[in-house]
Amino acid sequence: MDSYRTVLGLVALAAALLAPLAVGQFWMTLITQIYIYGLLALSVDLLLGHAGLYSLCHASFFAVAAYTTAILQVRHGVPTLLAAPAGILAGTLLAILYGASVRTRGVYFILITIALGYIIWGAVYRWASFTGGDNGITNVPPPSIGSVIVASQTTYYYFTLAVVLLCALGYRTLIRSPFGLSLRGIKASESRMRSLGYRTTKHLYAAFVISGAMASLAGVLYVYYNRFINPVAASFQISVEVSLMAIVGGSGTIIGPFLGSGIVLGLRNWVSSFFEFHAAVMGIVFIATILWAPDGIVGFLSRLRARGTRTKAAPP
Amino acid sequence: MNSGVLQAINGISFAALLFLLASGFTLSFGLMRVVNMAHGAYYLLGGYVGLSITRYTGSFVLGVLAGGLAIIPIGYLIDRCFIRRTGENHLAQVLLTVGIAFVIGDIALKVWGGDNLKVPTPIELRGAIELPGGIIYPTYRFVLILFGILVGLSLWLIYRKTQIGAVVRAGVDDREIVSAIGINIDRLFVLVSAMASFLAGMAGVVGGAFLTLYPGAEWEILIYALVVVIFGGLGSLEGAMIGALIVGLLDAYGRWLLPEFSYFVLFGPMAILLLFRPQGIFGRES
Amino acid sequence: MSAAIEVDNLAKVFGGLRAVDGVTLHVAPGERRALIGPNGAGKTTLFNCVTGTLLASSGHVRLFGHDVTHLPEYRRTELGMGRTFQITNVFTELSLAENLVLSIVGTDRRKWIIHQPLSAFPAIREQALAGLEAVGLRDRSDHPVKLLSYGERRQLELALALNTSPKVLFLDEPCAGLSPSERARIFNMVRALPRDITVVLIEHDMDVALGLADRVTVMNRGRVMAEGTPEDVQANPEVRDVYFGHA
Repeated sequence: MDSYRTVLGLVALAAALLAPLAVGQFWMTLITQIYIYGLLALSVDLLLGHAGLYSLCHASFFAVAAYTTAILQVRHGVPTLLAAPAGILAGTLLAILYGASVRTRGVYFILITIALGYIIWGAVYRWASFTGGDNGITNVPPPSIGSVIVASQTTYYYFTLAVVLLCALGYRTLIRSPFGLSLRGIKASESRMRSLGYRTTKHLYAAFVISGAMASLAGVLYVYYNRFINPVAASFQISVEVSLMAIVGGSGTIIGPFLGSGIVLGLRNWVSSFFEFHAAVMGIVFIATILWAPDGIVGFLSRLRARGTRTKAAPP
Repeated sequence: MNSGVLQAINGISFAALLFLLASGFTLSFGLMRVVNMAHGAYYLLGGYVGLSITRYTGSFVLGVLAGGLAIIPIGYLIDRCFIRRTGENHLAQVLLTVGIAFVIGDIALKVWGGDNLKVPTPIELRGAIELPGGIIYPTYRFVLILFGILVGLSLWLIYRKTQIGAVVRAGVDDREIVSAIGINIDRLFVLVSAMASFLAGMAGVVGGAFLTLYPGAEWEILIYALVVVIFGGLGSLEGAMIGALIVGLLDAYGRWLLPEFSYFVLFGPMAILLLFRPQGIFGRES
Repeated sequence: MSAAIEVDNLAKVFGGLRAVDGVTLHVAPGERRALIGPNGAGKTTLFNCVTGTLLASSGHVRLFGHDVTHLPEYRRTELGMGRTFQITNVFTELSLAENLVLSIVGTDRRKWIIHQPLSAFPAIREQALAGLEAVGLRDRSDHPVKLLSYGERRQLELALALNTSPKVLFLDEPCAGLSPSERARIFNMVRALPRDITVVLIEHDMDVALGLADRVTVMNRGRVMAEGTPEDVQANPEVRDVYFGHA
C-alpha cells in the first residue's frame, strides 16, 4: 500500500515539474495560485486536522505578511531579501498576538477568530492612508535575489513549487513528531492530556504560531505572484474558503489541502466563465461537502480503496 | 457636549437594531447549540422582502411584518434539512450556514440587484424631532430605540415571567432534563427558531430603512451581532441586551473619534475581555 | 519521613452541595490505600481535587511534603501523580501504541520536539510496546483504540497511568464493568506494582479493595467515616450499617 502512495507521489511530482512545458501561461499561473492557497489551507489544517481548533482568521496572517512585503518594496524600495522575511515576521508576530485566542475552545474559539479576522480586515480597509484602502497596493515589483530578478511566470512557478515542497516536507516531520502527536492527543481528549502532564494550552499556542508563520509565508508568495494586494486578501470569505479547501481535499493529510485548493479554485475559475453567481456555486460546494463528504476527497478515495481490498479478500 | 450625547443616541439606536438580530442568534445557540451564520442573510432577505412589500402596499408596518414572516418558513427549512444533519459539530454548522448565506446572497442579488436600496419609511417617521436639551434627532432612529425597548422588554418578560419562557430557560440550562420531563423539545426548538428568524427578518426591514440594503450588508451586520454575542455570552438574553448596548456605543464613539480605527475601538475591548473572560459577561464556561 | 499524600481538611463545594466536607487523610509512601463508600460519598470528587482535575474550595493537598493544592493538573502529574478515570478516558482516534507514547513523553521534555519524527526515537516505541505487553495488549499495538472492547480499554486506561512514571497512583474504580477474569488480571497487576509506587484506589468490589489494601478509608456524605486495616473496617458496625444495613 505504501508503494502505491509513493508511485502516486512521484507521478504527481513529475506532473508538477513538467506542467509549465505542457500547459499554457494561463494554466500555469492558475496552478501557481493553487500551490499558494494550498499552503494557506495546509496552515489552517495544522490546527483543524491535528489540534482540533477551527481558526477562521488565517487570512489575517496571509494579508499582513503580503501587505508588509508590498509596502516595504513599493514605498520604501526595500529589496526582496529583506522585505520577504519582514513580511513573514510581521504575520508571525500577529499570530503570536492572536494566539491568545487558544485560551478558548470549541464554538467560542471559532467566533473569536472570526472577530479577530475582522479587525485586520477593518484595519486594511479603513486605514486607507497606510494601506491604500480599497485600492490596495499596486505595482509590487517581481522578487529579486541580489541582482537576479525573477521576472518570468515560469521561473516563479518553479520557485513557488520549490518553497511549497520544502514546506510540505517540514510539515510532514512536524506532524510525525512527538509534538505533532501531542496535538492529535489534545484533539482526541484534552482532559486526558492534562492528566498525563501536558500543558495543553501551551501546545495549542505553539501550533497556532507555527500555523500563522506558514500562512504568512503563503502571503509573501502571494504578493509576488499577484504583484498587487487589496483588502479582499484579509476577508472572512478567504478564511472560510481555505478551511473548506482543507476539508474538501481531506483534513489531516498533507496532500488534502492542496487537492482542495485545486478543486475550489478550479471550480471557481470554470464557473465564473459562464455564470456570474459563483458565490452561490461556492455555497453549494460548502453545503455538499459538509453534508456528504466531510472527510474530503482523500477520505472518499481511501474508503473506496478499503472497499476494494475487502472484496478482493472475500472468499470465493 | 451635545455631540457626545448625539453619538450616544446613535449608539443606542444601533444597539436596538443589533439586539433584534443578536437575541435570536444567542438563544438559538443556547437552546439548540446551533451557530447559524446565515443570520445575516436572513436579515438581508427579510429586508428586501419587506422593501418590496412596503413599495407594493405603501405600508411600512406591513413590510416589517412581511419581512419577519417571510424568514420563518425559510429558517425552518434550513434548520430541518440542513442544520439538523450537523449535530453539534460547530465547524460544520459554520461552514454549512456560510454556504447557505452565499446562496441566499446571490439569489437576493439576482432579484433585487446590486444597488443600495432604502426601505421607505412612513411620513410620520421622517424628519426630525427635538429632544430635551435642544438636540435635533432623526425621528426614525429615535422610534427605533423605543421599538427596541419594546421588543426587548416583551422578550424579557416572556423569557423570565412566563411558563414557556421558563421551559426555554430550562432547555438552555439542560436539554436532556427538559426532554425527560416530557416536554416536546422539538416543538420548543421550532418555536425558538421561528422567533429568531422572525426577529432577523424584521431587523432587516427596520435596519434597511436607515442603513440601506446592499450585497455584503449581511456580513457587516453579522459581524456586529457576533461581537454582541461574544461580549454578552452565548445563550444569554440579558447578555444580548448588554452586549448590544456596548457594541452600539463603542461603534458610535469609535466612528466619531477615530474613524480610521473604529474597528479597533470595537474589537480592542472585545479582545481584552476574551483574554480574561472568554465566555463573555453572562455566558457559561464551556 | 513525610507522607506520600497528605490531605488536610479538604472541602469542595458545588453551589449548595458540600461534595467533600473536610476530609483529612494521610497515605504513607508505598502504602496501598483503598477508598470505599456508597455512591455519592465524594470519593471521585476527592480524587479530582487531589490530582488537580478540580480545584479544592478549601484545605490542602501535599505530595511528599510539597504543597500542590493550587497547582494545575499537568504540574501535579509532572511531580509524580498518576491516575485512571472512572469513565474510561483514552484516545480513541489514535492507535494503542500512540496512546502509550503520549503517556510516556507526557512528563518529558521530548514532547516538545518538532524537528524530528517519532520514528527517530526507537526507544520510545520500545517502551510503549513494553507498556502494552504489561497489560497484555501488545499484539494490537498499531490498531486504533476504537476496535478495543470495554475491558481492553480499561486495561489501556491503567497502562496510560502507569507509564507517566508515577510516584503515587490514583485508580478510580479500575475494575468497574469488567468480567471476573478481567478483574483478576487488573487485581494481579496492581498487586504486582513495586512498593516505590504508592497506590490509592477507589473500588466498589470489596474483594478487590480489601484484598489489595494495607489500610482502608471509608467515606460517606463527603466525610471520612472510618479508617483502619481491612479487618478493622469490616468489623466496624457503622460501616456495616452503611453498606449492608441499607443495601
